[in-house]
Amino acid sequence: MMRRAHPAALPSLAALPARARGALSALALVASSLAALAGCARDRAELPPGMLVVTQEQTGSWVRNFNPLTTAAAARWPTLAGVYEPLFVFNSVRSEQVPWLATGYEWHEGNRVLRVTTREGVRWSDGQPFSARDVAFTFQLMRRHPALDRRGVWGFLAGVRVIDPRTVEFVFQRVFIPGFDEVAAQLIVPEHVWRDVQDPVTFANEQPVATGPFTEVRAFRGQVYELGRNPHYWQPGKPAFEGLRFPAYPSNDRANLALVFDEVEWAGNFIPAIDRVFVGRDPAHHAYWFPLTAGVVYLYANTTRAPFGDVRVRKALSMALDRNLMVDVAAFRYTHPADATGMSESYAAWRDSAAAAAGDWVSHDPAGANQMLDRAGYPRWRDGVRRLPDGKPWRWEVLCVSGWSDWVRASQVIARDLREVGVDATVRTYDFGAWFQRVQEGDFDLSLGWCIEGPTPWHMYRWLMSSATIKPIGQASAGNWHRYSSSAADSVLAAFETATDPAEQRRLSSAMQRLFVAEAPAIPLYPNPTWAEFNTRRFTGFPSAENPYCDPSPNKMERGEILLVLTSLRPR
Amino acid sequence: MHYLLRRLGFYLLAAWAALTINFFLPRLMPGDPASTLFARFKGKLDPAAIEALRATFGLTDAPLWRQYLTSLGHVLQGDLGVSIAYFPSPVAEVIGTGLGWTLFLAGSAVIVSFAIGTLLGVVAAWWRRGWADSWLPSTLIFVGAFPYFWLAMAALYVLGFTLGWFPLGHAYSDDAVPGWTWAFTADVLRHAALPMTTIVLVTLGGWLLTMRNTMISLLGSDYVNLARAKGLPSAQVALRYAARNALLPSVTGFGMALGFVLGGSLLTEIVFSYPGQGYLLVQAVRAQDYPLMQGIFLVITLAVLGTNWLVDLIYLWLDPRTRDAGS
Amino acid sequence: MSRADATQATGLGAWAHAIRRDRKALSGAIILAVFALVGIAGPWFAGDPSALVGVPLQPPSGAHWLGTNGQGQDVLAQLIAGTRVSLAVGFGVGLAVVLLGALVGVTAGYFGDRVDALLSVFSNVFLVLPGLPLAIVIAAYLPSGPFTVALVLTLTGWAWNARVLRAQTLALRRRDFVAAAVVAGESEWRLLLVEIVPNMLSVLVAQVIGSTVYAIGAQVGLEFLGLGDVARVTWGTMLYWAQNDAALLTGSWWTFVPPGLCVALVGFALTMLNSGFDEITNPRLQLERVWRAFLERRGVPAGRSTPVVREP
Repeated sequence: MMRRAHPAALPSLAALPARARGALSALALVASSLAALAGCARDRAELPPGMLVVTQEQTGSWVRNFNPLTTAAAARWPTLAGVYEPLFVFNSVRSEQVPWLATGYEWHEGNRVLRVTTREGVRWSDGQPFSARDVAFTFQLMRRHPALDRRGVWGFLAGVRVIDPRTVEFVFQRVFIPGFDEVAAQLIVPEHVWRDVQDPVTFANEQPVATGPFTEVRAFRGQVYELGRNPHYWQPGKPAFEGLRFPAYPSNDRANLALVFDEVEWAGNFIPAIDRVFVGRDPAHHAYWFPLTAGVVYLYANTTRAPFGDVRVRKALSMALDRNLMVDVAAFRYTHPADATGMSESYAAWRDSAAAAAGDWVSHDPAGANQMLDRAGYPRWRDGVRRLPDGKPWRWEVLCVSGWSDWVRASQVIARDLREVGVDATVRTYDFGAWFQRVQEGDFDLSLGWCIEGPTPWHMYRWLMSSATIKPIGQASAGNWHRYSSSAADSVLAAFETATDPAEQRRLSSAMQRLFVAEAPAIPLYPNPTWAEFNTRRFTGFPSAENPYCDPSPNKMERGEILLVLTSLRPR
Repeated sequence: MHYLLRRLGFYLLAAWAALTINFFLPRLMPGDPASTLFARFKGKLDPAAIEALRATFGLTDAPLWRQYLTSLGHVLQGDLGVSIAYFPSPVAEVIGTGLGWTLFLAGSAVIVSFAIGTLLGVVAAWWRRGWADSWLPSTLIFVGAFPYFWLAMAALYVLGFTLGWFPLGHAYSDDAVPGWTWAFTADVLRHAALPMTTIVLVTLGGWLLTMRNTMISLLGSDYVNLARAKGLPSAQVALRYAARNALLPSVTGFGMALGFVLGGSLLTEIVFSYPGQGYLLVQAVRAQDYPLMQGIFLVITLAVLGTNWLVDLIYLWLDPRTRDAGS
Repeated sequence: MSRADATQATGLGAWAHAIRRDRKALSGAIILAVFALVGIAGPWFAGDPSALVGVPLQPPSGAHWLGTNGQGQDVLAQLIAGTRVSLAVGFGVGLAVVLLGALVGVTAGYFGDRVDALLSVFSNVFLVLPGLPLAIVIAAYLPSGPFTVALVLTLTGWAWNARVLRAQTLALRRRDFVAAAVVAGESEWRLLLVEIVPNMLSVLVAQVIGSTVYAIGAQVGLEFLGLGDVARVTWGTMLYWAQNDAALLTGSWWTFVPPGLCVALVGFALTMLNSGFDEITNPRLQLERVWRAFLERRGVPAGRSTPVVREP
């Protein structure tokens, strides 16, 4: 669509005195040249045929990096799930491991050895065959360079060896069944290329040789890059389209504008009021699906400080919180309040509804909370603030990260609600680094925080209540910032590490949930949605609530899930 | 010559001060980039990997003064280190991708604004109490009082988003292939039009006022009256006699303004997703990317210092008295 | 020139005079007074700015005159609450910047020699360092909040004032009345505080005003980037949240137009006040006024002629 400033809009020049005429004609010149510049604007998104336009990373300009292993750099999307591929892809919606570069696995020697069979007929994008040797090489490489070992597999592995070109064996240090999930998610690099790489940590890998559906860098400029299809891809007939294109947008806002104007077809952004802003503009083609699979936001109470060691206090504080309001204000109603198991939707298959129902401390009940605290022996003084038995007032800061707007809003609601039950609570925002140091070292009273997500509840509950994850106050702890542990939890978690039978795993998972509901080690607030918007004008086959074959978000690259989408999309 | 050398010495001192502030400030604060990287993985990164990362990034426990000397030495050799947010790209390369755009945007905006503002100032002073003098300054001051980025947002909303006259951002169309072609130049100008106009609008008032006020003072001085009395043409008196000398304060301000506009244009860049230093700086700050932050700040400072030195040269040409003072 | 004259010509009295006599200064003063009043008294009348009063992003209506923001808070209440913090930080920084500048500038100008050389180099270095990038870098590392913003802006903004005040001090030192005081044997500090500083009062006030304009603008910029305390309501954080809640995308102009307009109005008012004052106190502009009045009384059209003023 074009709009030009019509020359007739300017007053007739002849009617003006000579001096003014000069000035005005100069103005007219400026105006018409502006209009000329503007005239060809907004060329209504003629998108390149066969290329899916995606925005996932936000940056001012692209830096060429396709190194799938290093943790030192962010590799360009979809290096982690589209260029390179893992042994198994984890489908978080169906909660299952999908065989990918591997076709199966078996436990041997009392579950201390994991034998993985690799797929036949897979070729690297340069035509060389893929084999078990590449798998072993990748793991050896990570052993030599710990900065490549982002999942810490060498914390439980003792060795890796090639049995034959289709079989590789992982020897574990001890029986550790959850270790399979980490081995399964590992991206594999070609030995024939990477053995000559001097420093794989700093290697930018500008011309990736990989097994994924999109491996050919067709263009790479500051503002845009394109990936073309892998000529040797192992799934016949896939991918069903030419390639991917990535314009650089520096902010959420800018990326959203592009999405709304049909310049982008797949995005993983937060958009407020999405039904009106995005879907409303083109209901036939603009669609989204926000499944609640991105982990639960928690309020952590430092259990090493009084009175947070007291389970009654933790539960009462939880009851004081109006989670419905929080969901409205902080999350634009894209989610719902968490239940007392603290599990997100990605654990739906594991959830024990009886355990969840027993947790009455997640419903909003300020009166009940006040009663509970009165009975627990924390009297409310005349100033409205409760005191510890030693007379110290309940004056706490709720920590959160400045700029993380959903958290800031949630903590504002929390501080407001806590004042209702006699806590002099204020929100304190810190820059990420400062905040992170505080929570890791246990230097806080109350803080918002994320919780780790993994294929099984073991990952999450280990982070929330295992003594193995605790470090003393003052030392940085990777998980369990609130420093809660119990021997009951430790023994259930330990049992899960050696359980291979699904029924047994389920029983142990229920036991973990019951423990969590009884003890409230941390206060779950709401599950985070994963963001996913798509434009179906040119492509179909996106996952949706009607067709939930996997997680729809381009952000879900941790365990290769994007591959499921990339190999399912079809041009119209 | 002595004068210019002395100024050069001063700029070197300023550059050193910028480096020093920039080195110590972030390091005295809590948190370090490796732990920020950890945040990118939201706790999914193994702690052992973090330790390895610290070593990779060269975050050593050496005494601060030794790190300082090392870093100073590297900068002198033109080595700005390796960016952490864009690891493993060297800082120089990351900055290089955006520096040209920032200098183009801020530089041409300052020049355009200086030229138009100064000219309008001459006009306002010459036809004092006239139409231009009574309305132009107030209007421009009002426009100039808006924050840069706000005006940018408003322009983007009305002219870009609602009317669709201008592109919504970037320095050129995604499909354009950079090169010295007419098509590409037109494309770049089309993309620069809105951001540049907002910067020019905001800064115009300052130039106008400075020029107008100095001109008015000079128009009353003896030599201008003499020139008039001799019957020289008005335009010649205004431009050759009054304006040339009235330029001095504006030229002095020019160097300073560049720093100021560069600061403001960083915000404008962010609004228009213009691929310059603005977005990079904010990102470097958020990622605690010390080397990148240091590099950007250093480069911006050097740009400002360089301009100031150029301004000194121009000043020397405009005001011969400086030449005498120097020797 | 006697001491009394000097004080009168450059003292605070001139401001009152300027506001009475000059239309620009008067309009600036009025706008400013309105904002000051809103900032001081407004929060008692407007509701709690962080109360969640309704559906987010409602356009202006009878119930919410400026609509609601992305969190469902009343924009008008926020604007009023923000006025107080933003003006306080603005004027606070304006004052602090000039005080720091005066301390350095006057000391340098008065004591001269080595002190001057050292301090001048110091302030000139700060003058050429690009302020906003430096402020961004510093602000990122301090705990966020209005105090941090104020501190950062003071640290990056004082140098210009120091330079101007140094020149002013140098000029005053050469004046007769100061020389007389030196001869009379007054102590240096007394001389400085009683003779020199009071004579610069009007310049100082003009500088406070100028610096406040800078401070308000820079503060809004920093907060817009999320470098302030985003949990606090100020004009800058309102804009930050507007951007965060995709004001452009949702077309909710009422969340970002009012704070921007307020910033502009305050900046405009301050600049008008300053230029009106300049009009009154700048001897040449002042004389011209008298000259015009003289000509007009005699029915002669006031042309381009400007009376000549000799340098004192």
